[in-house]
Formats: sequence, C-alpha cells, structure tokens
Amino acid sequence: MKSVIQVNDLYKLYRVGDSYVRALDGVSFEIREGEFCAIVGTSGSGKSTLLNMLAGLEKPTKGEVIIDGHHIEGLKEDELVRFRRENVGFIFQSFHLIGTMDAVENVALPLTFRGVARRIRTEKAERMLDMVSLSRHKKHLPNQMSGGQQQRVGVARALVSDPRIIFADEPTGNLDSHTSEDVMNLMKRVVQEQGRTLVMVTHDDHLAEYADRVFHIIDGRIVKIEERTGAAPRRKEREHESI
Amino acid sequence: MRWSDLLRMSISSLKRRRLRTFLTVLGVVIGTASIVVMISLGLGLQQSMYEEVEQNGGTTSLTVTGKQANDMYMYAAMAEGEEQSDKYITDEVIEELRGLEHVKSANPVLNVSAIALKGGYMAYINLYGMSAEELESRNFELKPGGRLPDPDSQELELVYGNMVIQDFMEESTGKGYWETGELPDIDLEHDSVFLILDQDGYFASQDTVSAGMSEAAGETGPETSGQKKAPKKYVVRASGVMEGDGINDYNANSWSVFCDIDILKSCLQKEFRGRAIPGQPTTQSGKPYKQFVYTSASVQADDMEHVEELTTTIRSLGYDVTSNIEYINSMKKQFAMVQAVLGGIGAVSLFVAAIGIANTMMMSIYERTKEIGVMKVIGCGLKNIRQMFLLEAGFIGFMGGIVGNLLSLLMSVVINALVSGQSMGIGGSLSYIPVWLVGASLVFAVLVGMAAGYFPALRAMKLSPLAAIRNE
Ligand SMILES: Nc1ncnc2c1ncn2[C@@H]1O[C@H](COP(=O)(O)OP(=O)(O)OP(=O)(O)O)[C@@H](O)[C@H]1O
Ligand SMILES: [Mg+2]
Repeated sequence: MKSVIQVNDLYKLYRVGDSYVRALDGVSFEIREGEFCAIVGTSGSGKSTLLNMLAGLEKPTKGEVIIDGHHIEGLKEDELVRFRRENVGFIFQSFHLIGTMDAVENVALPLTFRGVARRIRTEKAERMLDMVSLSRHKKHLPNQMSGGQQQRVGVARALVSDPRIIFADEPTGNLDSHTSEDVMNLMKRVVQEQGRTLVMVTHDDHLAEYADRVFHIIDGRIVKIEERTGAAPRRKEREHESI
Repeated sequence: MRWSDLLRMSISSLKRRRLRTFLTVLGVVIGTASIVVMISLGLGLQQSMYEEVEQNGGTTSLTVTGKQANDMYMYAAMAEGEEQSDKYITDEVIEELRGLEHVKSANPVLNVSAIALKGGYMAYINLYGMSAEELESRNFELKPGGRLPDPDSQELELVYGNMVIQDFMEESTGKGYWETGELPDIDLEHDSVFLILDQDGYFASQDTVSAGMSEAAGETGPETSGQKKAPKKYVVRASGVMEGDGINDYNANSWSVFCDIDILKSCLQKEFRGRAIPGQPTTQSGKPYKQFVYTSASVQADDMEHVEELTTTIRSLGYDVTSNIEYINSMKKQFAMVQAVLGGIGAVSLFVAAIGIANTMMMSIYERTKEIGVMKVIGCGLKNIRQMFLLEAGFIGFMGGIVGNLLSLLMSVVINALVSGQSMGIGGSLSYIPVWLVGASLVFAVLVGMAAGYFPALRAMKLSPLAAIRNE
C-alpha cells in the first residue's frame, strides 16, 4: 500500500533553562494509506509532540516529515494552515467545540473556512451528524450535550471536509470507558468505510487494540511497532532498529 | 472564507458580550458626536462668513480700479514715458478685461456723489451707476413692488439702500437722524426727489442767492459769472428700495443709491458740457480726458478658484484690484484654526474611544485564545482571523459612528433652536452639518475602530495554535 506519512529521523528538543529536554529522539516510521495507527506510551513520552509535528503545529528541531510527497517541516505558517485545511481533520481530547455555535455550525466550520456556501455546508454537516447518530441534537449548543455527544460532534467535524488524514490526541481521554468504546467504534467504522488514514494518540493499551498498528514510544523513541492484521489478533512484534 | 461568514462571526461574537460591546460603542458615539458637533460649529461660522461675503459682492467678484500716478510715481514715470503713468477704466479697458481668461463678465461702475432734495430735507448720496447686468448680479432684495432701473428709460431711476433715508437732514438746521432721533417723513418709494449732480454749481448758486439776498448788490466777479446759472435739478423717482428697516438692517448696500450707468453718464455729460466732470481726470492743462473714465470695473470670475489668478493677471496690466478673496483666505485660515481646535477637542474623545476599542478587542482575544487556536488547527486562514477581528473593531466604529451622527444631528437642531431663540438677527445657523461631514465622520469612526483593532488582530493572528491544545 502507498505511504501517506513518512517520518525520517525526527528530533525535537525543548530548551528548559540551561538543559534540553529530548521530547523526540530520532524517530522514523511510515504510515500507509487507509491505516489506523495508534501511538501509545506513558505520560511525557513524547506522543503529543510527535502528533503535533505530523500535523504541522510544531516545527521539528531536525528531521523530515513528508506527507503525500510534500515536506511540511519547512512550510510557513499560512502554508501549514492551508495544508491542514485541505488534508487534515482533528479530534481533540477536550472536544474544543465553539461554544456559541450549535452542533451543525460546529461541524460545518471547516467547510466555512474553505469558503463553501452556507446551504451546501449545512447539508453536509447534517449528514455527518446523522452518521454519528446525533440527528436529534443538531441545534444543541456544546454545553447542552454530554461529553460523548460532544466528542461525536468533534468526530463529525474532523470528517466533514473529507480529509485524507485524521489526527486524534487522546480522543477518549475525557470520556468514561463505555462512551470511549462507542467513540472508538465510530471512528474505526468511519475510517474503514471511507478509507481514511487515522493517527491516534493514547496511553491506554486497551484502546490501542482497535488500531491496525500500534507504535510504542518511550522517552521520545519508538521502541516497538505492533502489527495487528486480520480478524485474528496475530501479534507480530519486532524491536525497533534504533536503540 | 466568505465575507458574509466573516461578518456573521464578527457580529455574533459582538452579540455574545452585549454589555461590553454597548459600552465600547458608547465611547465611539461620544467621540464621533463631539467631533461632528465641534466641526459643525466651525462650519456654521464659516457659512455665516460666506453669507456675509455674498452680500458684499460674492466670492467671485473683483473690483478693478485705475491707478493714478502720484508724484513719486510720476517722477519715475516721466523718465520712462508718459504713457504708463495713468491707468483709467475706460470702455476699452472694460473690453480688454472681458477678453481675459476666467472672466465671466466685466462691467463699468461709475460712482459719483450727488445731492438729493426733498421737501425741507437735503442729503448727500453716494450714487452708483451700473449696467443692467451688473445690477442684476448684485441680487438686491427690494421691497415688494420694487424693480431695478430700466436701462431704456429716458429718466434716471434710483434704487435706494434701506438706510439712505438716514442721510436726509433738515436743510435749514442741518440736523439729521443722529441729532433728532427721528427719520424724516419721506417716502422714498413713492415720492420723487430732486437730484443735483453739479454740487459745486449748486452751492455756488446757493451762495450767490444768499449773498444777493443779504447784500442786495453782489459783487459779480468775472470768474463766478459763468457759474451763476443754477445747476439742473433732475426730478427722479425710485424704481425700488431695498428690503429692511431704515435703522437696523444693515447690509453692504444699505447706504448706497444705484442707477443705470448709461443714463447717469449722459446726464453728467449734458450737465458738464464743455467742463470737466468732477472725478474725471483732466489733462495737465485742465481739459477733460478724451475718453470717459469710470470709477471702477466690476469683474466676475468664472470660479472662486480662479479669482487669485485673475487678480494677479489684472494687476500685471497695471490696475488695482480688490476682491473678497483675500478676506476669505484670511478668514479661511482662521476658521481652519478654529476648526482644528474644535475638532481636536472632539478627536481627543474619539481617541479615548479608540483606546476603549483596543482594550475590548484585547479582552476578546484573551478570552478566545483557545477558540482562535482551534480555528487555526482546523484550517482557518491567518488572514481570515485578522479580518474577523478587524471587522469586529470596524463594526464597533461603524455603529458608534452612526449613532454618534444621529446624536450630533439632534444636538445641532437643539443648538440652533436655542441660539435662534435667543438672539435675533444672526443670519444662518450656528451649527451646520453638511452631508460630507456625516459621511466623513462615519468613515473616520470605522477607520479609528479598525486602527484600534489592528494590533489586537495581529496578535490574534500570531497566536500559536498549539496554545489552544496545550492549556486544557
Ligand atoms: N513546550 C515545551 N517546552 C518544554 N518541554 C516540553 C514542551 N512540550 C513538551 N515538553 C516536554 O516534552 C516531553 C514530551 O511531551 P508530550 O506532551 O509529547 O508528552 P505526552 O506523551 O503527550 O504526554 P501525555 O500522555 O501526558 O499527554 C515531556 O517531557 C514534556 O515535558
Ligand atoms: Mg499528550
């Protein structure tokens, strides 16, 4: 399968006072089209840093991030915004819906930024809400919905502009385990149906089982890539080349 | 992003914090209103100046007078040649003036003083002969039934200024209005008066009459014998009297009497046949000048902008020129200063309002840091974010501008009502708000709003999208 995301020897150093924190310490991997990947690790291991760099929210200290053949580590901010607008959907841990907009408007927001006409984007947003089974909550404001409902709106918003890649940083971090499973199933289903690439960050091994591949990250290094192919969870593990 | 969406988002975020928006707008309202009202006061002053100038002959008129060589000048001129020494306004000169660029019309004006007799009263009047066109252009306001003199008439017809009546004094005592405090019982509109153009002749005859009366046998010297004949008394009627009462309603023409120039000229020529007409230049031998000389020429420029240019042109021809333009220019300078001061006072309050806008926008951006970050993460262009905040600030300015203008229109009406109620006689209004002022202040308010919102908007644009995701 074709690779969508390619990461080569990525470093991220944070300077704290006189010392440096190596948030990412030489990371290389490849994500193929239509894959559901999970990045797993303990707190502070560099998961979010990695994801942010993939999405162009942060610049790497060193290394390359190639998405669909384009280097994004050197892009300017407005180019990055355009890149995200065209290619990327985002799901946040704390949903980050706009408080003054109802569900439909929130879902339609990425289309608004693209300059899509109001009628068309509303139609599409409503279809997305139907898909995440929120048909009855279209006119609800975020504070009139439960966390799970809000996150489903978030999922709908991430998918509405038909992005090729969806990034999710602990999408179920603020939900109870039951609701988490709902949302995970929803994401898995949509990704499979629509053939999108999903990169998810979590610290929960259990949730990582939904993924096709799991990247284990410790102290800024990928230590293990776990491949889970087919119905039978046949585990094929291998140590990462780099130490 | 579409403009309609940007506008919708800006307005909805303003609506979200109604009270704060209202207070910020209120600041702009006060700022705009104070600027507009202050400037309107300056404009009102300026307008009343223009009205005054209009009565004084308007903004485009020039008065061209000849140049008499004084002794000093004569001395210099003698060396160069006689030709240049004297400049007189003759018919030829009028034609020459008409031919100049930017001249709409040029007409001669003949100013003589004359004696008017009526009943027991006598007046020295200042008589202006003007062409029909010129009289027309002066826009006299005549009392009902009045008209301008008919140029085709054989007789002199006069238009009296409304205060000329004060000139008449009792012939026997020499007391006029100032002494008696009573206007003479003359109806200038309907009564005819005797007009004497040859004043010297009149006094000479008066003297000889009185002399003859007292001493029976007057010495008739050879030089006085020629003047013994009493000058002609023309019986003249008024064709009109200017509007206004005889004591208070002053305007620039109140003290003058107007008549047709050609008739006046022929009267003068008849009266002084063979002699020099008073006021007319004479050659060194005392003979009248070969051409008739007018007192001045009244020139109308085609546009106020060209008055100065025309003035220099005519001056370079060797004539003296006076116009209202210098007065207007100096007044304009003063008004510009008055307006700058008044407008400056208003501007201070708008400046304070601008600080208010900037403050509101900063608050709004702090509150919405997360929201702005999220929007950036999900693909809102940097330009759009800046536009959104600029629109928001501009909209505050716009609303403040509109309400401020309404408020100042209201205040203007109230001010004018108060002033006109208090002091009669001041023409025009104290506060004057032209349409351009409304437009300009509105645009200005919007610009101030946008300027105040500019740096906050830049700040919003530069906010890191990561900040939104980090500070959960
Ligand atoms: N802006 C920063 N300045 C300095 N150090 C930072 C900064 N951002 C992250 N770090 C450091 O980089 C490391 C990786 O952080 P990161 O946020 O990627 O962890 P994480 O794996 O997402 O943890 P969690 O599961 O708690 O979200 C941490 O040690 C953190 O302290
Ligand atoms: Mg994290």
